[in-house]
Amino acid sequence: MKLHTAFTVKRVSDEVWEIPATEKPGMLVPARIYATEALLTNMDSGVFEQVTNVACLPGIRRYALCMPDGHWGYGFPIGGVAAFDPQDGVISPGGVGYDINCGMRLIRTDLTLAEVRPRLEQLMTELFRNVPAGVGSRGFVRLNRQEFDEVMRKGARWCVERGYGWQEDLERIEEHGCIPGADPQTVSDHAVQRGISQLGTLGSGNHYLEVQVVSTDRIFDPETAAVLGITGHDQIAVMVHCGSRGFGHQVASDFLAVFEKAMRRYNISVKDQQLACAPFRSPEGRQYFAAMNAAANTAFANRQVITHQIREAFQSVFNQSAEALGMHVVYDVAHNIAKVERYAEGDLVVHRKGATRAFGPGRPEVPEIYRHIGQPVICGGSMETGSYLLVGTADAMRDTFGSTMHGSGRTMSRAQAKRSVRGEQLQRDMKQHGIIVKAVSMSGLAEEAGFAYKNISEVVEAVDRAGITKKVAELRPIGNIKG
Amino acid sequence: MAHAYRVLDDVALADTAFEATGDSPSELFLAAGQAVIETLADPQRVQPVETRSVTRRDQDLSALLFAWLSDIVYLKDAEGLVFHDIIAVVSKERDGWLVQGTLSGEPIDPARHDLRADIKAVTKHLYDVRQEAGGWIARVVLDV
Repeated sequence: MKLHTAFTVKRVSDEVWEIPATEKPGMLVPARIYATEALLTNMDSGVFEQVTNVACLPGIRRYALCMPDGHWGYGFPIGGVAAFDPQDGVISPGGVGYDINCGMRLIRTDLTLAEVRPRLEQLMTELFRNVPAGVGSRGFVRLNRQEFDEVMRKGARWCVERGYGWQEDLERIEEHGCIPGADPQTVSDHAVQRGISQLGTLGSGNHYLEVQVVSTDRIFDPETAAVLGITGHDQIAVMVHCGSRGFGHQVASDFLAVFEKAMRRYNISVKDQQLACAPFRSPEGRQYFAAMNAAANTAFANRQVITHQIREAFQSVFNQSAEALGMHVVYDVAHNIAKVERYAEGDLVVHRKGATRAFGPGRPEVPEIYRHIGQPVICGGSMETGSYLLVGTADAMRDTFGSTMHGSGRTMSRAQAKRSVRGEQLQRDMKQHGIIVKAVSMSGLAEEAGFAYKNISEVVEAVDRAGITKKVAELRPIGNIKG
Repeated sequence: MAHAYRVLDDVALADTAFEATGDSPSELFLAAGQAVIETLADPQRVQPVETRSVTRRDQDLSALLFAWLSDIVYLKDAEGLVFHDIIAVVSKERDGWLVQGTLSGEPIDPARHDLRADIKAVTKHLYDVRQEAGGWIARVVLDV
C-alpha cells in the first residue's frame, strides 16, 4: 500500500488506521484515520501531517481523528476531530475552521418528482431570487446592533420569534438552534460589520441550496427513514449547506491573532501557526468559546431564515401553504464547531472541523422524536452526485467522540477544476442530466464540478462499515443554487 | 517598477493560493492586493465609482501586508463592494512601516459583475513574506 506519507500507518481494522504516537516528536496520543484502503491511499500528505500535529496539542485525549472525507485544511485537516480535557487542555480556532458552524440542513416535503418536474425551472428561479448567494451577498433582514446581538444570543430561536420559521423547527436543530454562553461582548466591531447584513444568505465556494429527490430503492433503512419523514416514492427534499458568513470568518481571524500572542504567555508551542490555541480555562480561551458560540448561533439563524425563504418559494410556486406541502425540517447539523460534551472520562472539549456530531440512540442531546434512532447526520455530496442521510450510533460514542464524516471531500484543486470545464458547459451538461443549476459565478460553478470531489458513496460506505454512522437514505440532486 | 502575481495551483486543494512579487514593498502590496480583488470579481467589469482609503502601520512588513489584504476582504463584506483598481504606497518609518492604500470600485451587482469567489479569510497557512535579490515575494493562501 503506497501512501502519501512516510509515517508508519498500522491497520486497526479494514476502516480504521493508526499512526503511533512515536511517529512524530511531541505526539501525546496516536492519530487514527477512518477510511477504506482505497480512500486512505488517495489521501493527500496534508492529512497525515496535520492529524499528527493535532496529536501534539496540550490536553488531547485518546486520539487525534480524521474522517474518510479528510483532506488538507488549516491547522486541523478537514474531517478532523479531537477532544481536550477542559482542565488542562486547549481550544483552537484551527479545530473549528473559519466558517464557524458551517453546517447542513434538510427539509422534507410531501411533493413528488412528478409534481415538481414540470415547475422545476420556475421553482429554481424563485429560490434563486429568494435566497441571495455569491460574493458579499446581503439578506432581506435588516438588523441594528442590538438586534444582531439578540441573534448571536438566541440563534434560530430569534428567527422563529420573528416569524421566520415554525416552533417545531427548533427541536430539529442541533442544540435547538441556540447554544448557551454566546456573548456578543466578545466579538469585534469588524466582525459585526462583516455579518450584520448577511443573515439569510448562502455565500459561495462549496455552499449550496439543493432540491433533491429520494427514490424508494435508495432508502437503506425504511423504518428509520420513516421516523425522519423520508418515505421515498420520488419524494422531494431540500438541502442547505452554509455557515456564519463574514461574521464567523472574522471571529475566527480575530481570535487566531489573539491566540498567537496568548501562546507565548502560556508557553505553548504548536507545529503549525494555524493551530494557534489557548488553554480552555484561560480568559482568551473562554472569550473565544463565547464568541464562537455567538457565531454558531448566527449560523443556525442564517439557515433558519433561508428555510423561511425556501418555504416562501415553494408556497408561491405550488400555491399551497408550506404546512400543506409537509415542509418539515428533518434536522440541522453543525460540522465546524467546538463543544463541551460528556463522555466516559467526563466533560471534554470536542472539536469537529469538517466532521459531524453523530450521537447514538438514547443521548439526551438528541431530540426526543429521534432519540430511539440516534441523531440524524446530513452529508452533502458534490452537486452532480448524491447526498446522504445517516444516523449516529453507540459505536461512534465509544470510538470517535460521537463523530462522523461531513461530505465528499475535494480531490482536485479549484484552479485545475476550472481548467477542466467551463461553468456554462457544466450547467448545460447538468441540465441534460436533469439537474437545473442557477449560479451567481460561472467560474465558481466550474470549481464545484463533481469530478473535483471524492465519490461520496465510498466515503459513506466507510463510516457505515466502521459502525460510526448508519446510512438511511440517498438523496439525488435535481436543482442546485450556487454562489 | 514591476509587480505580478501567479496562482499556486498545488498549495491549496480547496482554496486559492498565490505568490505575489514586486520590486519594492509598494509593488508587492499592489500585486498581492490585485490578486485579492481579482479573486473576488473581474475588475474589468467593475466601475470605479466609489473609493475607500486604507491606512495601516506595523513594525513588521509581513504583518502589515496581512492586515492590508484582510482590510480588502473586510470592505467586501462590511460595505458590499467589489473593486476595479487599487493604489498602494508603502513607506519605511522610523519604527516600522506604513501603507496608504486607495481602492476604487462599486457596490456588488450580480447582474453586471463577473463575481468569482467569496473570500472568507486571509490565512497564515504557509504565509511568507521575504526579500530576495530580485525584490519582494509573498506567498498567501486565501480561504474561499
